[in-house]
Amino acid sequence: MQSSASTAGAPAAPVPRLAMHFASLEVQDNAARLGMWLFLTTEILLFAGLFICYGVYRFLFPEAWAASSRSLDLTLGTVNTVVLITSSLTAALAVHYAKTGKNKAVAVQIFLTLLMAIGFLVIKYFEYHHKFEIGTLPGRYYFYEGIQLPGAPMYFTVYFCATALHGLHVVIGMVVLAFAMVRALRKGDFGPNNYTMVELGSMYWHLVDLVWIFLFPLLYLV
Amino acid sequence: MATDTHPGEHHGHHGAGRYWVIWGALLVLTLITVVTGRMHMPTFGLMLALIIATTKGALVALFFMHLSEHQGLNRLFFAVSLLFVLLMLAIPLIDLGTRYRYATPPGSQYSDMQAIDIGANAQQGRYGGNQKKPTSQEQSEAH
Repeated sequence: MQSSASTAGAPAAPVPRLAMHFASLEVQDNAARLGMWLFLTTEILLFAGLFICYGVYRFLFPEAWAASSRSLDLTLGTVNTVVLITSSLTAALAVHYAKTGKNKAVAVQIFLTLLMAIGFLVIKYFEYHHKFEIGTLPGRYYFYEGIQLPGAPMYFTVYFCATALHGLHVVIGMVVLAFAMVRALRKGDFGPNNYTMVELGSMYWHLVDLVWIFLFPLLYLV
Repeated sequence: MATDTHPGEHHGHHGAGRYWVIWGALLVLTLITVVTGRMHMPTFGLMLALIIATTKGALVALFFMHLSEHQGLNRLFFAVSLLFVLLMLAIPLIDLGTRYRYATPPGSQYSDMQAIDIGANAQQGRYGGNQKKPTSQEQSEAH
């Protein structure tokens, strides 16, 4: 990658950084996007495994599934959905501002995204804490008297696996976006020709949102 | 410049307003899925929830993730992954739906056998269905 020493003083017009094996900047951007989509398809299939577990056990234990899903706190789940959708909006706006080279605005939007991500995790923590107290836990650790149906511990196995994997993705997405935010603040060189980092980080964040969009109705509403 | 919208422009620049519209649509769809989900419709509920979730997912993928403007190959990758998700879902469900009744897990909707109680005692989980944990007395009688 060619280094450009003259960019530091002129953040308004960043120099495109074209790797020598790409024909043009557009080709380079497309290659980066395609790589990201390829990675995201593997992520989709990773989560799909858990959705298939959900489908299979729901098919086998419909009553336990209905009863267990009604034991979850729908209000907290809905708030978390709204929080995550809004954080997706700010992540998309960050890309929008990165394309126009407004680095301050990029940092602000990513900061808002990170705040909402933390809010999401805090709400998730309270939900988990409640479950540890009443005993709706996976497998042999299940001790909730309210629902004594075969398959109910399996529901919470799927619940914890799916939400914990999703939570891990939230944390990873936060780290990726935090790097972009620091860059927007320190270097401030995002612009029409250099926004791939924000774009791909934001795509990852939207995938996290996408997974939650499916997890929320399946786990909380059935 | 920011308010100027050209939706058809390739890799072009849209106004930020478009994202707010998508955000509003996502919130409305969330409201609909919560309201209809709380009605607990017996058969159509899951279908409706999945249709709404797919619509929301499509909005996120097409506009937030810019799939609508990316090259065709990106869309092909995405579509192929969805195809494999559907295959992965369909094959185990077809298997379970057509199984010999005694081959389904004990305690499930399609089984006559008693559920395994793994809540009370971890040891019991090893003896499924109607089986009880053999006592040491029975074992000594058998020999």
